[in-house]
Amino acid sequence: MFRKILIANRGEIALRIIRACRDLGIRTVAVYSEADRESLHVRFADEDVCIGPPPARDSYLNIPRIIAAAEVTGAEAIHPGYGFLAENAEFAEICQRSDIVFIGPTAEQIRTMGDKSVARRTMAAIGIPTVPGSEGALEDAGDALGLAREIGFPVLIKAAAGGGGKGMRVAQDADVFPTQLQMAQNEARSAFGDPSVYLEKYLARPRHIEIQLIGDTHGRIEHLGERECSIQRRHQKLIEEAPSTALTPALRTEMGEAAKKGAAAIGYRSAGTIEFLLDQDGSFYFMEMNTRIQVEHPVTELVTGVDIVKEQIRIAAGEHLSLPKEWSCGLRGHAIECRINAEDPLRNFAPSPGMITTFHPPGGPGVRLDTHAYAGYVVPPHYDSLVAKLLTQGATRAEAIARMRFALESFVIQGIQTTAPFLLELMNDPEFISGDIDTKFVERRMARRAAA
Amino acid sequence: MAAGAGKQQPAARERTGRADAGADRTNGVVNSNAGGLIDLDFVRGLIAALDASGIDSLEINRGATRIRISKTPPPATAAATPPAPVHAAPMNNAVALPAPGPAPAAEPASPPRSNLTDVKSPMVGTFYRAPAPEAPPYVEVGSHIAKGQTLCILEAMKLMNELESEVDGIVREVLVENADPVEYGQVLFRIEPAGSQA
Repeated sequence: MFRKILIANRGEIALRIIRACRDLGIRTVAVYSEADRESLHVRFADEDVCIGPPPARDSYLNIPRIIAAAEVTGAEAIHPGYGFLAENAEFAEICQRSDIVFIGPTAEQIRTMGDKSVARRTMAAIGIPTVPGSEGALEDAGDALGLAREIGFPVLIKAAAGGGGKGMRVAQDADVFPTQLQMAQNEARSAFGDPSVYLEKYLARPRHIEIQLIGDTHGRIEHLGERECSIQRRHQKLIEEAPSTALTPALRTEMGEAAKKGAAAIGYRSAGTIEFLLDQDGSFYFMEMNTRIQVEHPVTELVTGVDIVKEQIRIAAGEHLSLPKEWSCGLRGHAIECRINAEDPLRNFAPSPGMITTFHPPGGPGVRLDTHAYAGYVVPPHYDSLVAKLLTQGATRAEAIARMRFALESFVIQGIQTTAPFLLELMNDPEFISGDIDTKFVERRMARRAAA
Repeated sequence: MAAGAGKQQPAARERTGRADAGADRTNGVVNSNAGGLIDLDFVRGLIAALDASGIDSLEINRGATRIRISKTPPPATAAATPPAPVHAAPMNNAVALPAPGPAPAAEPASPPRSNLTDVKSPMVGTFYRAPAPEAPPYVEVGSHIAKGQTLCILEAMKLMNELESEVDGIVREVLVENADPVEYGQVLFRIEPAGSQA
């Protein structure tokens, strides 16, 4: 087992990793930018090294300084957390060349899954369903209709040069398809200078369901069930929960096995997540794979009792997965996570950095808080706006929601604006409470509010 | 760099308004927990005693931990031959030194110190005073240096980087010892630039 690990990250995840290391009796090294001198991860690590000025590219993304910090402190392994260098294949390789263990998958696995079209092809090749679509941009209109029939209506026509949810039109059936195609091409030309479009099956009310995977270096891969992540705003997750109200045990097994198969096909080890889109008819499609620990991993930890970060460290040290040999993933109870960001929901979620003057966290049974914030802490403007991850667990979804309501109400953060009040509204929203949610939920809700 | 158990409690880390504001970060000294808690009250007591006396420096060895407190930084020659415990293991047993007593270190009214230029490390690595183990150091306290002159070597990832001076002047303080690990922004030298008050 390692004697010392360097954490190449900051904020709440750096603290999370320190906790896992402390559980395992491993000494910790924190690295920090000048903006993070007063951070908790610096305070609570056994050693710390300043690695640069505030901008991420000069500090948390600065590979030579991070490797040098590991060298001068004698750290044997580096945990990259999420974001920053966590999915940087080059960094994983440099660690290896420097005789430092990178706590995660291999550089090759990061590279394969990092290229989204290679990832899709890899999964499709082993029979994992991917969102049906055209291989590339469409050549001519005649072909297009045939292709659209193959995919199955309704079809989404997307600008090849588009992105960020822009340049998309839906064709509901073969009759309207030619017109929609024409208009999509015209719009693409004027908006992006390129009329090329491609086709994708349109999922009207998809749910974003991801499967947590964990694998060791001895060939064993298991799945830890799903997380429902449909509550998003502009493709950023706000609320995650497990289990998903949409999954029956049979569907959970089917999706779990598909995810395991995908990971096993590339010999994956450490923690990873495969994201699927789940259609209303129960069909699911591979979207992408994240080859790192994720922000919302505590949701799975609460319903499975598995400490995923500790498993990552053990796996990197060459140990076997600590799950029982006969592991069939049953989820216990219900867990919900709310991401509390330093943003002002009343001003279109504008960032709200600054000093937190009062900080009183919630508590009680079934409440877990992962945060690096404290009274007197200055939320810096240079990094992401995540201030805290608030989780509740209950025997049922209703109990988890009730606990989350009071947890949000009793969580006092003053000095900055946060998304807590907005999340509380969502906890009281009838559609959310009903469990019949999908990725357009927040959009619909905000449109209703705006129209009111 | 600082170490866990030896770290000061939140109140002691507050910097606003204290005379030694930032001193524990910028004078390049390192707190280390070499296998046991460093008793902060004990250290504070030592600082107070030293401050109240005419003694310039004080050194105490306790097992694997060595504590040295001085009112003036160590001279160059002493730093060239580091004592054994410091290098028994990488970094872990590095010498611990909180900021020298509040009064001497950052007294703004003291003219010789206020015009010194800090030379800060631009990288993370290991500090070497000389081009080779047997060679004489690049500079000593009192050395006259020219802009562009090499002050030291900073090593990281098996690469040696020469750190060059950005000013002409005289080296007044050397704040780290040979083979010390250094972090980004750590003050290595203080230079009296040429043309400033002596």
